[in-house]
Amino acid sequence: MEQIQIPEGMRDLILDQCRKKRWLQSKIESIFDSYGYQEVMSPTIEFYSTYSNAYQNIIEEDKYKFFDQNGRILTLRSDMTVPIARVCATKFKDIKPPYRFRYTSNVFKVRQKFRGKQSEVTDCGIECIGLKNSDLEVLLCAIDVMESLQCSYTLEIGNVNFFKKASSYFNLSSQKLSDLINSKSMVELKEFLIESKVDKKAYDFFMKLPFLSGDASILDEAYDLSFNDEIREVILYLKELNHMLEKMGVHHHITYDLGKVPHYKYYTGIIFEGYVAGVGTSVLNGGRYDHLLEKFTDEYPACGFSVKLDYLLDVIQLESQTKMVIYYPASKQIEAYMKARELRNEYSCVECKEYDQDEIIIKEEIR
Amino acid sequence: MSLSIALTKGRLEKQTVGMLEECGYGIESLKNKGRALVFPDSVYDIQYFLVKSNDCITYVEHGVADIGVVGKDTLLEGGKDYYEMLDLEIGKCKFIVASLPEIHLFSKVGHIKIGTKYPEVAKNYFLKKGMDVEIIKIDGSVELAPILGLCDGIVDIMETGTTLKENGLVVLDTVCDISARVIVNKASYKLKKEEVMKVISDLESMVKKNALSDQ
Repeated sequence: MEQIQIPEGMRDLILDQCRKKRWLQSKIESIFDSYGYQEVMSPTIEFYSTYSNAYQNIIEEDKYKFFDQNGRILTLRSDMTVPIARVCATKFKDIKPPYRFRYTSNVFKVRQKFRGKQSEVTDCGIECIGLKNSDLEVLLCAIDVMESLQCSYTLEIGNVNFFKKASSYFNLSSQKLSDLINSKSMVELKEFLIESKVDKKAYDFFMKLPFLSGDASILDEAYDLSFNDEIREVILYLKELNHMLEKMGVHHHITYDLGKVPHYKYYTGIIFEGYVAGVGTSVLNGGRYDHLLEKFTDEYPACGFSVKLDYLLDVIQLESQTKMVIYYPASKQIEAYMKARELRNEYSCVECKEYDQDEIIIKEEIR
Repeated sequence: MSLSIALTKGRLEKQTVGMLEECGYGIESLKNKGRALVFPDSVYDIQYFLVKSNDCITYVEHGVADIGVVGKDTLLEGGKDYYEMLDLEIGKCKFIVASLPEIHLFSKVGHIKIGTKYPEVAKNYFLKKGMDVEIIKIDGSVELAPILGLCDGIVDIMETGTTLKENGLVVLDTVCDISARVIVNKASYKLKKEEVMKVISDLESMVKKNALSDQ
């Protein structure tokens, strides 16, 4: 049997899928360009230790790993945020921030077998590094990207500090609690809170948290639930953001979810996800991560997001394109090819096809 | 917007359909199934489909189904990219650890082998206990494995305990309780929140009603 399979989680893209992907990529990249983000290309392979240094809770099984000539562990990059932080520390150490970087790169993650998930996807995103107050800029850019998809969408904003401040007030900070809230696991959350013997105030707060999601009015509800100034401040900040988005008239597809607390140790402020009708998972992810850069260089605040292009291919509708086709008899090949060269100045696609008639004919056809 | 709901067929099916019916959903087609695979609701803009428990998670994770009803036993073994929003409190049973009485599983010195249909559950349970055990996947009649000497103990679902007792096995510990859960696709929760929350709150009120009548 010849070797015809591809490794688990990998995919070949053909014809229209490639066209859609390129179309999406250039559309999104031109938005990033228009905001002044400059492209970074980094190697596909990084040292495993670059990632384990960057993230506290790295999941070993998720990473593709192999060795270099000296026995050091290598990994296929699993995101572009870490390579960009590394680039800042080395290539930009004498240049003052802010830095605005964009990238389009394939990233790799080992996914569970036989579940229809992709282990290699193209990530197209930006990182705005060195600015504390870049949330609005980054959000606006994310809104422009979602708008450009021409699908019905929701961009949902959260702020991990709401959970962080509340859980540290109650002395309950833990990965487990944040995971339960993030996955809205109401049954286990209830069990966990009862086992942790929390008082009624904490119980009510955390049981409500997973449901604090919806349009901007949810921020009022969250404000009423806030029990000290620190927590109120988090909500006031979101309200201010919302106010600014409203003022600019770009708030129509914005929703909020304060129970969105993934990787709560990594994110340090706003966090947001974009969803489009027809795709079962988020297609855009981002947030503020002020403590990553210090693992590589100085302490720079940072905010960014990326779009997984591959997740969008099924919902993108492209207009069909046309091409010019020159049919020619074998005896008139040179003539046909010269005509084709001439037509290519005018048309984006001109094909030549040999046939068994005597005359050259030129037709417009669907590509 | 229309909703798709994946129901686990078999043990949970009848009770789940019963709860939906009591909430006023138009589930006639689910009662007279024939050979159909997709069942439209006669009242609301909902379609149901009946699937195997493992597939229920897969359909919901991909967003092909917005909502799924599936046993916690399956959730513990499968992926976790969904919201687990409600305990329907039906199909109740538990995960237990059992062995032959002469084997002192928790104090045994040396290599320990555990037979189970649920390797993830077994692995996590013994990890929490600080024990490193070898898991052997068994697909049916797990009780047989320790009797024949394939393993020292088992992790399995127990409803009444009769099968265990008849085979001379004793329950050593409860791993956790199991019941049917309602899971929701994350994107569906954002994009069809109103429709999803209606189903959740309808079912929730039924759970509360059932709990009251049980007392």
